Amino acid sequence: MTAQRDDGPINPQPGRSRMGHWFRITVIGRNPKVTLARIVVLIVTCFVVFKFILLPIRVDGISMLPAYKDKSVHFINRLAYLRHEARRGDVVGIRVGGTNVLYRVPSMIYMKRIVGLPGETLAYASGHLLINGAALDEPYVIAPCDWNSAPITVGSNQYFVVGDNRSMPQAYHSHGKVEKEQIVGKVLF
Amino acid sequence: MWLWLVLFPSPERVFAGQFEKLAHAASVQPGEGYLARMFGAQTAGGFFSTNVEVNIDMPGHRQQTTMSRDDIVQAMMAMHVSGGLTVKFMDISVDVGADKQTAQADMTVEARVPGEQDMMVQEIKFTLRKIDGKWLIIRVQTVRTFS
Repeated sequence: MTAQRDDGPINPQPGRSRMGHWFRITVIGRNPKVTLARIVVLIVTCFVVFKFILLPIRVDGISMLPAYKDKSVHFINRLAYLRHEARRGDVVGIRVGGTNVLYRVPSMIYMKRIVGLPGETLAYASGHLLINGAALDEPYVIAPCDWNSAPITVGSNQYFVVGDNRSMPQAYHSHGKVEKEQIVGKVLF
Repeated sequence: MWLWLVLFPSPERVFAGQFEKLAHAASVQPGEGYLARMFGAQTAGGFFSTNVEVNIDMPGHRQQTTMSRDDIVQAMMAMHVSGGLTVKFMDISVDVGADKQTAQADMTVEARVPGEQDMMVQEIKFTLRKIDGKWLIIRVQTVRTFS
């Protein structure tokens, strides 16, 4: 009786098999179940992060030039104002759909800069923004502006927002007071 | 589940389809001829009741009026949009009344002229009534995002 070692089927192309083995490890991993679990976790994490925390947005328009260019992509941090209130100079996303779609992510969001805080009185005089009568230094405004307006007082639950590009007539630039609940979050990057 | 949604679509789905058709009819292709524009305007007019209350409150323009369906068609024809106009209704939120005969639809309308960098965005509130089995717009009201 002779003993015979079972080495399995003979592979006529061992080099190719080794490549296939490493290709499979690289793509699927050593343990396909663990890889599958990782993929599921990654998809769920991406969904939660990009749907509820960091909203990806694409700028459409010229009202935030020169800081935010047309067609550029940014993110809105929806958790930015959990621990503190919005500050002057913050660029924020503002929901267009009113408060009835508070928990639904709107497909259209205004991007504006907060210039007036609750309780303040704002006015434009020859293009200069006056906060409680004093001119605000706005280095982000590059284009010449000739706006004039009567003083407006911001409510206790409101912010005054405006775009950086004020080269167009005031009537054609969407700006004004918004309710705190309309602010979706702070624009990052 | 899928069959149920197809057979009994939600009010949002029904109205979204209707407003998509309205947006398509109200849009104008670049260089579109008079007859095509007339057909589009007539089709769009079919989504409105015979008399429509219009409340416009936009910066520099405030108007409250009642327009007939023909007025709406003529107003659409009078728009100078030789370069084209693309109309889109987004974020439609529908509230059907308890009587199931009236509904309110809140949405954002985007109007864009092809090739131009900027666009017009406006919140709009439509009030609709079921007339002869068809939901028709009886009131159009703009909503100010910024006060």
